[in-house]
Amino acid sequence: MLVSLNWLRELVAVQAADDEVARRLTMAGFEVESVQRIGEGVMGARVAEVKARAPHPQADKLTVVEVADGHGVRRVVCGAPNVPAPGGKVALAPPGTILPGGLEVRARAVRGVESEGMLCSEAELQVGEDAAGILLLPDEVPTGAALADAMRLRDTILDLAVAPNRPDGLGHLGIARELSALFVAPLALPDADLGALHGPPAEQSLSVEVRDAERCPRYIARLIDGVRVEASPFWLRYRLRSLSVRPLANVVDVTNLVMLETGQPLHAFDVDRVAGGRIVVRRADAGEILLTLDGQSRELCSDDLLIADARAALALAGIMGGSDSSVGETTRRIALEAAAFDARGIRRTSRRLGLRSESSIRFERGCDLDGVEYASRRAARLIAELGHGRVAPGSIDRQAARRAPRKIRFRADRCRALLGMDLPAGEMVATLERLGMTVRAAEGEAHEVEVPSFRMDVTRPADLCEEVVRIQGLDGLPATLPSGTAAPEPSGDALCETVRDTLCALGLHETISLAFSGPTTMRAPGEPPAVQIKNPLREDMTAMRTWLLPGLLCALARNRDRGVTDVALFEIGRVFFARPDRELPDEPMHVAALLSGKRPEWLAAGPDRDFFDIKGLLEEIAGTLRFELLFGRSAHSFLHPGIQAEVGIAKGSVIGWTGQLHPALCHDLGVKTALAFEIDLGAVPALALPRMVALPRHPAVVRDLSFFVAAPTAWDEIRAALVSGEEPLVEDVRIHEDYREPGRVPPGQKGIFLSVRYRARDRTLTDEEVNAAHERLVSRLSSRIPVLRR
Amino acid sequence: MTEGLQEILELASGALQAAADEESLRQAEARFLGKKGLLTAQLKRLATLPAAERPAFGEAVNRAKRAVEEAAARRRTELAGAKLDLELGRSVDVTLPGRRRPQGRPHLLTRTRRDAERIFAELGYEVAEGPQVETDFHNFEALNFPRDHAARDMQDTFYISDGVVLRTHTSPVQVRTMMSRPPPVRIIAPGVVYRRDDDPTHSPMFHQIEGLLVDRRVSLADLKGTLLHFLHRFFGADVGVRLRPSFFPFTEPSAEVDIRCIFCRGLGCRVCKQSGYLEIAGCGMVHPAVFEAVGYDPEQVTGFAFGMGVERLAMLRHGVDDIRLLFEGDMRFLEQF
Repeated sequence: MLVSLNWLRELVAVQAADDEVARRLTMAGFEVESVQRIGEGVMGARVAEVKARAPHPQADKLTVVEVADGHGVRRVVCGAPNVPAPGGKVALAPPGTILPGGLEVRARAVRGVESEGMLCSEAELQVGEDAAGILLLPDEVPTGAALADAMRLRDTILDLAVAPNRPDGLGHLGIARELSALFVAPLALPDADLGALHGPPAEQSLSVEVRDAERCPRYIARLIDGVRVEASPFWLRYRLRSLSVRPLANVVDVTNLVMLETGQPLHAFDVDRVAGGRIVVRRADAGEILLTLDGQSRELCSDDLLIADARAALALAGIMGGSDSSVGETTRRIALEAAAFDARGIRRTSRRLGLRSESSIRFERGCDLDGVEYASRRAARLIAELGHGRVAPGSIDRQAARRAPRKIRFRADRCRALLGMDLPAGEMVATLERLGMTVRAAEGEAHEVEVPSFRMDVTRPADLCEEVVRIQGLDGLPATLPSGTAAPEPSGDALCETVRDTLCALGLHETISLAFSGPTTMRAPGEPPAVQIKNPLREDMTAMRTWLLPGLLCALARNRDRGVTDVALFEIGRVFFARPDRELPDEPMHVAALLSGKRPEWLAAGPDRDFFDIKGLLEEIAGTLRFELLFGRSAHSFLHPGIQAEVGIAKGSVIGWTGQLHPALCHDLGVKTALAFEIDLGAVPALALPRMVALPRHPAVVRDLSFFVAAPTAWDEIRAALVSGEEPLVEDVRIHEDYREPGRVPPGQKGIFLSVRYRARDRTLTDEEVNAAHERLVSRLSSRIPVLRR
Repeated sequence: MTEGLQEILELASGALQAAADEESLRQAEARFLGKKGLLTAQLKRLATLPAAERPAFGEAVNRAKRAVEEAAARRRTELAGAKLDLELGRSVDVTLPGRRRPQGRPHLLTRTRRDAERIFAELGYEVAEGPQVETDFHNFEALNFPRDHAARDMQDTFYISDGVVLRTHTSPVQVRTMMSRPPPVRIIAPGVVYRRDDDPTHSPMFHQIEGLLVDRRVSLADLKGTLLHFLHRFFGADVGVRLRPSFFPFTEPSAEVDIRCIFCRGLGCRVCKQSGYLEIAGCGMVHPAVFEAVGYDPEQVTGFAFGMGVERLAMLRHGVDDIRLLFEGDMRFLEQF
C-alpha cells in the first residue's frame, strides 16, 4: 500500500526523519518496498500575486499580466482563459525554471510583448490533470514562497508490504497507530464530528434491510442532501494523485480519501436512483446480471452478495458499485454506505469474477465493526463540507450483534520464555498499551489484555508476544542455540545419493527439469495414468510427469540449439502416477540418464557413444549398490528396435529400460544418436553393507578360448554355459572380442574370443589339471551350443 | 688342450661385446654357458681325459666359465646403462593437457541442499520427506490457512482437485512429522515445491528447505541463534543478518530473515531494490493452532520453524542471475559447479 508521510505526520506527531520512519516500519513488519520523493519537480516555481491584467494588444486570446513574486513586479504573457482579478494567487515559473516535462522557461517576446516567465497549469507542473487553465492558489498562501512549500507538494511516498492479517494497515490511520507505538508519539484522530444536525431524519427517505447478516454483519447508511457534485479542491486531488488514485469528483474522491485514511471502504449511491429509497443487502439470484462501474456486465451466482433496491441490483457488495445507481453530476442526495462484509464471501466472489478492487482487497482481509461507524461519520462530514450539502440527522445502523471486546490472558513469564528475552513485565505492558491495548493486572505476572477492535489479528497470547517483540525490535533479541538433542535417524536418502555420486564419477552431469508434462509429451512405457493439473500455467504444463526421459530430451535439444553436441546428463527425481483408488498419487523416485555425441578421448574426439556406454552406466550403478541386473528383450517404440533392453533385478521384475533412441526420434531432436536408460529406484534393493571376501592364497591360471558360433547366440547364454558351476575350478570368464566382420567369420557366424580363469582355493593348480578342466569345459560348452573352435 | 679354451674365450668375448641388447646378450651367453654351450661341452669332455689331466683342465674350464660370466655381467651393466641413458634422453611436453577422466557434477541445487543438510545435521537435525502432491489439509488447513482466506493469496496454488494441491511449501512435512510421532522433533525437510509463477526470479517449480524444532521451552532467541549459525556457516561469518517481523499463518511470532546484500554490501543496488538487504528465509514460533491441529499440547511444548528457498541460497552464493538456468540442463552451466 502507498502511504504519504505528510499525511502520516498529520495523524501522528513523529519528529524522526523520513528514512528513520521507513526503517522502523520495516523492522516492525511493514516492509518498505520502495521510497519515492515527489513534488521536487516544481522547485523553481513560486507563488505570485496578480497585480494587474490587460488584454494583449496583438492577440485576442492572450492576457498581459503584472505579477508580484516577492522580489518585484514582472510582466508575463498568459494564454489561459482564467487569469484571476488582481489579488488572485497563481503559480509563476520565472525564466530559468525547468518544468517537470523538461522544458526550460525563458524570457521572450510574445507577439511583441516581453514575457518574463510563465503562469502554469496543474498539468504543466505535473501536479494534476487540469490543463484548461492556470492553477489558481488559495488566497492565504504567501506571495513569493516556493510553490512546493506553500502547497505542501513535497512528500515522501512509501510503498508498504502489508501482511494479510493486518487489514488495519491498509489505511493511514493504522500505520499512524504503529508509528505512535514505535516512536511513543501522540495520535490525532481526524475529525469525524457531525455537530448538531437539522432537518428531516435520514430514515424518512432511506431504509435498509440486511437479509444475510452473516455476510453483512454491519451496515450503516447516512443521507447527505443538497450536494453539488464538482471537482475536488486541489489538495484533495493532489493527495489522491500522490497515492495513485485518480481523482474524479468530490463525493467519490471523499469516499476514496476516507478509505485510504481509515482502511474502511465506502460507497455512495444517488438516492434518487435507488428505487423506493430502499436498500436491501441480499444474495444474488443465480443468473442475475449487474452492470458494474467498470462497464462490464457481470453474471452472478447465488453465493454473491448484492446491494439492491426494491427493484434490482445496485452494487456488488464490497467489491464494485453498479453504474445505474452511481453518483453523477446531477446527483443531489447521497446515500453513504459504510458496511462490513464477510471476508471469505468477498474473496470467493472476487476470485470467481476475476474482479479485484481497492475495496475488495480490504474486505478480503477482514473488517473492524467499530471502525465502520467512525468512517461513516468522517466521510459524511467531508462530503457535506466539500459538496456543500447537509448531513441528515440520524443514521440507519443494522448490526447483527455487538461483539464483546476481545480479552486475552497475558503472562509475562510465558512471554519471556517464548521469546527467550529478559524483559521486565512493566515494559511489556507499556508496549501493549502503546498499541492501544487496555491492560489490567491479574494475579502474579498475569494480565488481562483487552484488544482494540481494529486489531483483528490479535486473538491469542502468542499474538501479544509478537506485538511485544515487534515493537521492541528483533535486533535486541538474543541469539542462542537450543539445548537438548533429538537422536537423529540416518539422514537423507543414501540410495539416491550413491546413485548420484556414481553417475557423477562416471562423467555425467546432474540436471533438474520442471516436473510437468503436456498433452504432446511423449508417453511413458505402459502409459501410466498422469496426475492432471486443474489450473495449469501453460498448455505444455498440464500434468505431472510420469517419467524423466522427456525432460532429458528437452535438455538435449536445448544443448544442441546452443551448439553443445557432447551431452552426458542424468536426473534423479520423482514421477507421478495417478491412483484412482487413493487421494494422493504414487510418487516413485526414478533415475534416468542420457548420452549423446562422442566418447571423450585424449586430445581427440573419440568414437560416437553406443549402447554399451549406457549399459555400462547401469552395470556400474548395480556394482556400486551390489545387486545383479538382468537385461531382457523389449519392444519400446521410442527405442531402436534392435538396440534396446528391459532392465530387471530378477526374472520377471522389470525396473526400467535402456537402449538407443529410435533413429526417427533422434532425427526430430536433430542429433545423430542418443542413448538412455530410466529405472525406478524404489524397486532397487536397499543398500547393504559389504562383507569382505577372503583374498585367494593361490595363483590363478588363465586359458584363452576362441570360437565361431551362430550369430544370434547371446553372450549371456555362452557365459551361463561356462560358469554353470559344473566345473568348480572356473573362477571367472571374460569376453575380449565379439566380431562379425564378413571375411573374418563364416557366414551366419560370429567370432568370440574369451578367457577363462581357473583357481583352486586350497592349492596351486598344475598345468595338467587346468588343461583337463579346460577341455571338459569346452566340450560341455559344445554340447550345449554348437561352436566351431579355432 | 687349453689352446682350445683360449679360442673359445676370444670367441665369447667378441660375441658378448657384439650383443646390442639384453636378448642377444642372453643368447650369446647361452652359446657358451648354456646346457649345450661350448664351455659346457668342454666340461663334458673331462671324463674322456686321463685322470692326471683332469684337475688342471677342469680348473681351466671353470676359470674360462667365470671369465665369460664376468664379461657377460660387464656387458649387461653396459647395456643397462646405455638403455637408461636412452630412456633418460626422452621427454614429454608437460604443457600438453592431461588425460582427464571428466567427472560429472551434482546439480548446483543438490550441492546447496547437501551443504545445508550437513550444517543442520551437525546440530542434530534429521532429514524428513513428504509427498509433493499434497492434501489441502496438510498444505493449508493444518497450517492455519483457512479456506477462502486472504493468506492463501500469498501462495499461488496449482490444484489437482478440490482437496489436493501441488504443495506450495515444504511445511506440510512439519504436519506429517508431528502427526506421526510425539515431541521432541528436530527435522529439516528439503524438497520440491510448486507455485503458479513464471518469470526471471520465479519458477513454477522450485526447492525449499524447511526446519522444525519442537521441545519444551524452545524460544524465539533459539530460532535466531540457529538461523545465524546456519547463515554464518553457509555464507561466511561476515554476512550481516537481520530479522524483521512478518506474517505466516502457521507461526506466531513470525519473522523474515534478511542478509545484507552481497552485491552492494548493504549500500543499495538494483538486486536488493535499494534496501541493502536480501530476503533469505521466513521463520517463526510454531502457531498454537498448528500444535492443536497435529495433536500436540501447546501448553507443554513450544517450537520454531523456518523455510528457505534453495534456489535463492544457491543464486546468491554463486552469483547466478537467472533462475531458469537452473532447470535448463545446459552442459556449459552444469559443468561450472
